[in-house]
Amino acid sequence: MPFQAPADGVLLPPYRILDLTGPDGVFCGKLLADYGADVIKIEPPGGDSTRQRAPFIGDQPGQERSAYFLFYNTNKRSVTLSLESPQGQDLFKKMAASADVVIESFPVGYMKSIGLDFDTLQAINPGLVMASVTPFGQTGPWKDYYSSDLISLAASGFMQITGDPDGPPLRQGNEQSHFPGAQYAASSIMGALFYRDIQGGSGQYIDISMQEAMITFYTDAHPALAWILRGENVTRVGPNSTLVIPLGVFPSKDGWISAGVITPREWENLSQWMFEVTGNEEILNDDYKGGNQDRAPHRDIITAYVIDFTTRFTSEELFHEGQERNLVFIPVNSVSDLLSDPQLEASNFWYELDHPEAGALKYPLGVFDSEEVSPSMLPAPHLGQDNEAIFSGELGLSEPELASLRSQGAI
Amino acid sequence: MVDAKKPLSGIRILELGPYVALPLTGRILASMGAEVIKVETNKVLDEMNFIPAWSRGGGQPEFQRGKKRITIDVRTPGGLEVFKELVKVSDVFMTNFRRNILDRWGIDFPDLRKLRQDIILMWQTGLGGIGPYYTYKSYGILVQHMGGVSLMSGEEGEPPATINSSYSDYHTGVFQPVAIMGALMRRALTGQPATMESSIFKSGAVTAGPAILDYQSNGRMPPRIGNRDRFSAPHGVYQCQGDDRWCAIAVQTPEHWEAFCRAIGSPDWCSEAVFSTLESRLANQDRLDELVGEWTATQTAEDAMTKLQEAGVPASLVSQGQDIHESEHLKAREFYQPSPFFLAERDRPAYEWETKEGISATNPPRLSESPLDFGHYSNVGGDNDYVFKEILGMSQSEIDRLTENQSLY
Repeated sequence: MPFQAPADGVLLPPYRILDLTGPDGVFCGKLLADYGADVIKIEPPGGDSTRQRAPFIGDQPGQERSAYFLFYNTNKRSVTLSLESPQGQDLFKKMAASADVVIESFPVGYMKSIGLDFDTLQAINPGLVMASVTPFGQTGPWKDYYSSDLISLAASGFMQITGDPDGPPLRQGNEQSHFPGAQYAASSIMGALFYRDIQGGSGQYIDISMQEAMITFYTDAHPALAWILRGENVTRVGPNSTLVIPLGVFPSKDGWISAGVITPREWENLSQWMFEVTGNEEILNDDYKGGNQDRAPHRDIITAYVIDFTTRFTSEELFHEGQERNLVFIPVNSVSDLLSDPQLEASNFWYELDHPEAGALKYPLGVFDSEEVSPSMLPAPHLGQDNEAIFSGELGLSEPELASLRSQGAI
Repeated sequence: MVDAKKPLSGIRILELGPYVALPLTGRILASMGAEVIKVETNKVLDEMNFIPAWSRGGGQPEFQRGKKRITIDVRTPGGLEVFKELVKVSDVFMTNFRRNILDRWGIDFPDLRKLRQDIILMWQTGLGGIGPYYTYKSYGILVQHMGGVSLMSGEEGEPPATINSSYSDYHTGVFQPVAIMGALMRRALTGQPATMESSIFKSGAVTAGPAILDYQSNGRMPPRIGNRDRFSAPHGVYQCQGDDRWCAIAVQTPEHWEAFCRAIGSPDWCSEAVFSTLESRLANQDRLDELVGEWTATQTAEDAMTKLQEAGVPASLVSQGQDIHESEHLKAREFYQPSPFFLAERDRPAYEWETKEGISATNPPRLSESPLDFGHYSNVGGDNDYVFKEILGMSQSEIDRLTENQSLY
């Protein structure tokens, strides 16, 4: 085999991945690094801009203390290198010559403008895989449009189906538009490496549009199909479904609980339970019996009865007792709920990483649980911590050469 | 000529399970050239064959294109035997049934290893395969609320923002190919197979992000700020002409602000001191949003977007289905393709269903040398002959016998 096997207990071979991405693609390198790839974050000499992003650990600003940077750069290494300077570009080409993958999320055309486009890099390294994650992709009339998390959520139509029908389309929190494109990038990079190393294929370029990735993350709402086949635009329905009754989010004694009744049997179970608790015989009415969408005409009255019921219990009570009655109540968790959830605890989800400045904190690294492989456990890198190992150790630059690059602001 | 070889040529994947996440994983792997065999039964059809209800199956190609679809009732002795023969010739088995159900059917992971020692097993669960919730039933559209992000969306005090889609399923669906390809590579290099378990719950919770660290360190819950942003103003969606038409605008930098003011005709209020810096705009957002809304109310969403983009301001209409279908941009990228689908009927077996024309999205990544296959769309059981005869070498009479007693049905 032409490439190196993963270490014991590690999923991925130590593929060398040069990570130039900003927030649009940063999760791709993290996912691959967490599972064993050797991801090197290339930062400008002043540091990646997200190092300055609040909140900070202990609310004390500092370039090694941003929660954002710490979260999205676990298991990566860091070198500083100015892509804007000719010396920095040369150095990058030297790194690319022996790399497996380059990932970037600059505006379309930027890499070409600095002489580091795929054609140039491939001439140096024919096996190179390069992936670009951009708001609208590398081609098409919108390719140069300006974007942001909000704009991606809007352009994909994801906002159209989020929120209340009487209110505006709503942004989903936590910059969710930054995940789908980055996840597709990770899976297609794996495909491209498989093609190269198992099938004996060449390197290649991968173009990922965040807009398209986001559209495929709500496929089951069928926005285009609904327009073609019935001339209808799908829209947001608020916290409760208009078709499946009850399905949605309801207040509980201590917060919110989500619930859904899909089968006739589930309705039997729920209505019986509601009757036991509230004494309201009306809920057992034959008109309300049936499956999936049979209760739609009675939405308002049933919703009122359900709320009268759910507000008598805590979310945890509904969650667990619901399961005993073959009913699906799912808690609406906050981040503190996640950190104390017994299921996540039991399934190797949290990994404690000790960072010299940020201290020991629990990180959610366990996307998969496996007896054979587990995530790597290095915290996010200090700015430029691997300069020496890469520039001197691997590229063989001498101390005077490094000093000269430093004085020119290239590293 | 494009190389006929695909990333996953020669890899065979056995898929058993309904809904969104697992089938999406199968479709992605099929688009990379794996032979994905999807096991279904006419006796208990995946509800996804009927979605959306108004089209009776128009949504199914999105999840099943490119697969070989066969019918086996694994609950019958004959069906289970054939299923086990398929395990012997597959590289990966993936399922999303709960452990208690697999046990009842006699499908047990250690036992599968006896049939094929190096098979890779991907077990997708709702809430978790081990741990206290392992028998718990769940629905993907509700599990979106479990991962923490619902309470980071919308406004303070309002109900959690709900997405009208089974959103968190997709995280799992796109994570799993990474794990499966990684495991296949690892097996090729070390000879070692792997068993991996995923859950919709965990896939969502992984994306809870920096708030996890902020809470541990500073005890702070992420604020719910609706469409606003900590670092940008104006920032939100603004109503335009027409019914439920909106334009999203994100003014992030001083340059964006200048360009924004120019693009809307430099009204007097743009030069007011209260809007001159990001800090002052953030402090006066209610009035700012009102003024921006007065401008967008005079525009169509398309015009507002175009004017702002041409001036250099991040902006987009909030796309509706019609916009997505008619988008010149998506057409130029050939994002949607025509796809047939089968009009599902509950009281007739799938092979009697009629065909209708619809569409399906392509898989987003555009690979230059080994482009992803859009793939053929088979009906339920449409590949029985190929799989049972050519892969398993079964005789016609054996297939007929097992079809008649509904083992392969």
